[in-house]
Amino acid sequence: MRVFVAACLYLLAFAAVAEGVSFERLTAAKQEPQNWLMYSGTYRSERFSPLDEINTANVGDLRLVWAYQVRPSNVGGAGLVETTPLVVDGIMYLTEPPSTVTALDARTGKKLWTWSPNMADDVLHIGFPQVNRGVAILGDTLFVGTLDAHLVALDAATGAVRWDVVVADNAIGFALTLAPLALDGKVVVGVSGAEAGVRGFIDAYDADTGKLAWRTYTVPAEGEPGSETWGGESWRTGGGSTWLTGSYDPDLNLLYWMVGNPAPDWNGDVRPGDNLYTCAILALDPDTGSIKWYFQYTPHDTHDWDANQIPILFDADMDGRARKLVALANRNAFYYVLDRKTGEFLVGTQYAKQTWAAGLDRTGRPILLPDTEPTKEGTLIWPSLQGATNWFSPSYSPLTGQFFVATRLIGSIYYKADVEYEAGKPFLGGGQQALSGDEAAGAVRALDALTGERLWDFPLQSPPWAGVMATAGGLVFGGSNEGNVFALDAKDGAALWNMQLGSAIRTNPMAFAVDTRQRIVISAGLTLFVFGLP
Amino acid sequence: MQRATAEFRVVFITALAGLLCLVSSTSYAESPRWAVDETDLAEGKKLFRVHCARCHGMQGKGGEGANLNRAKLRYVSGDETLIEIISSGIPGTGMPATRSPGVKGIEQIAGYVRSLGQLPAETPPGNAELGRVVYETKGGCSACHIINGTGRGIGPELSDVGQRRGLEYLEESLVAPGATQPSSQGYAGFLAVRLKTASGFVEGMRINEDAFSIQIRDLNGTIHSFYKREIEQLDKIFGHSLMPEYRVVLTAGELADVVSYLMSLKGES
Repeated sequence: MRVFVAACLYLLAFAAVAEGVSFERLTAAKQEPQNWLMYSGTYRSERFSPLDEINTANVGDLRLVWAYQVRPSNVGGAGLVETTPLVVDGIMYLTEPPSTVTALDARTGKKLWTWSPNMADDVLHIGFPQVNRGVAILGDTLFVGTLDAHLVALDAATGAVRWDVVVADNAIGFALTLAPLALDGKVVVGVSGAEAGVRGFIDAYDADTGKLAWRTYTVPAEGEPGSETWGGESWRTGGGSTWLTGSYDPDLNLLYWMVGNPAPDWNGDVRPGDNLYTCAILALDPDTGSIKWYFQYTPHDTHDWDANQIPILFDADMDGRARKLVALANRNAFYYVLDRKTGEFLVGTQYAKQTWAAGLDRTGRPILLPDTEPTKEGTLIWPSLQGATNWFSPSYSPLTGQFFVATRLIGSIYYKADVEYEAGKPFLGGGQQALSGDEAAGAVRALDALTGERLWDFPLQSPPWAGVMATAGGLVFGGSNEGNVFALDAKDGAALWNMQLGSAIRTNPMAFAVDTRQRIVISAGLTLFVFGLP
Repeated sequence: MQRATAEFRVVFITALAGLLCLVSSTSYAESPRWAVDETDLAEGKKLFRVHCARCHGMQGKGGEGANLNRAKLRYVSGDETLIEIISSGIPGTGMPATRSPGVKGIEQIAGYVRSLGQLPAETPPGNAELGRVVYETKGGCSACHIINGTGRGIGPELSDVGQRRGLEYLEESLVAPGATQPSSQGYAGFLAVRLKTASGFVEGMRINEDAFSIQIRDLNGTIHSFYKREIEQLDKIFGHSLMPEYRVVLTAGELADVVSYLMSLKGES
């Protein structure tokens, strides 16, 4: 009898493994707080952990459980660790720069397998270093984008390649650094490359075969809606890269994806017009890729303020009416709340120092101040080109309605230069010299998600490159350039725990549980650290 | 742009700086490995502004990255290492790999960087030997500075200050030291701080700082470390140096002699 029961249990376990992570599991990811099934935790991109074993009362006891040393890149330099690992039923999947995927036993940190692409030494990465932010999972398949612009499907159990497709031509500047987003039978990716003058797009691939399901360009071609916002032939090299993972609403069946800067970055003379859909959010039909609505945060951007930040979906009553909303803390220093069904602009407030706009008008369009454009002599403007925030993730607590964002308080002197397009070369039209040191600072800020009103502020020594994660334990985890990992009280921002990790932190925190014990994960330098209670 | 220059930034003061404390042993300004003509220099300048100026400044005078207007750079022992550093970065620092300009482009950048270090020699305003005597006697400088192993390390070591700093900077450092404080990753180096804890006041110079702690060195050379939660009051006195203003200590001639002595210090014992 005992043997029979054991056999049944084995078969059940095997069935669960074979089925893997279904679309239904992804949709209900919040019901599996012990796992972290996608880049931002859930399709809503809240980066919120419902685990509460670690809380305001005991976080001071947090200690190291295990660490993993990321291996230096084999393609020039060490790269930077910007990965958010996934954890699925006791196995952690992380990426290592530039595009390596590694599976670890989440209990002990011991390596299970590693896969690396066969990538040429001269792979282009124009405007960014060699990084990768993570993988997606669907069924028993992992998906990773590579620096040389491939999308690769790997067997989650062994790392064996299932398929490998070329998304775009790295020789003209395309690259993939983002974590893909898995939907129902599809995997969605965006591209990097605006600094090389690519024409950006969002792709969806059949998860089983790698066949392209649809492609939606972020810069319209001649005759297409929005093409009137590009002068001459400038759309052909218009940028609009899509280098960060989007969000998804299964009920509305809308995919939200963010679009980066127009190209060339700092010389807007060669691309007159608003330059749609750069620096915008697109709401897409995930079945066809068609654009249902858009909202452009920074028309005709000349400061490199991509809108490639994480759009967080949340629901709330507004003026007595239940609304489905999408919030974004933009690189341009404004916080926006839109109706995510229609794209209607509802709220826009400044959340960090800026000197380029008098505010937003009632449609959400910025009211520009004079003399804020880059010049040959230089123009000092806040925020810097790296923005008031950047790719690293904000977090939303559905328990309190707070929106947490790691904020950069830094200006830049912006320069404009002549520019000509040459395939596979930088296409920038200027540059910047950022303020630094004591002239720059950072903070973790808590905003009222509905209004953008600042609730509290935790100061950081320098403009951060690490994201934040709120938890049901009433905590907000984050990291600093100076190597501090910390936990703040979500209520008032008080620091309840911190540890010096010895190198800059430039990843997002995430959480999982193994053996019912909650773990907190963050990387510093080239090491991934996992913390837990004794 | 993708985290755009995101990637070019790292952090703070000595702990993570690296690039800024540029001192080294071998000049790379001689015996170029490759020929660099005016066209290459012009192209190198353009590429530098695109790829490097975000951190090193449009004129290479530094920012988040190192000041390159120096003949000797810490990590550079020759042309080969300069090219290797540009193309592969420096692990553990904010210096990223820059491969996109291609081999020729990187050589042009290196040529331009090399030209930044070839500043014309400045004429000392006084007598270096007399200046050495003033430094060691009336000036009392060795009470706070080390030269070739001699002195106390309260302020910056000066053994190669003539290599790292120009005439104007050295003059101002003596007459108005608060105006010319060295920086590290843009942070004020030797920043005067005064803080109060339950145990009393402590004054000194900031060595390092993060969101949770600060480390300072007092004028006796003693290092203090404080968690910020222990600090009741923290004053950072920008534009002020704990070094005396020597215009009220030395004559104009003595100042010129001391500056000449400092200019003569090239790092050789």
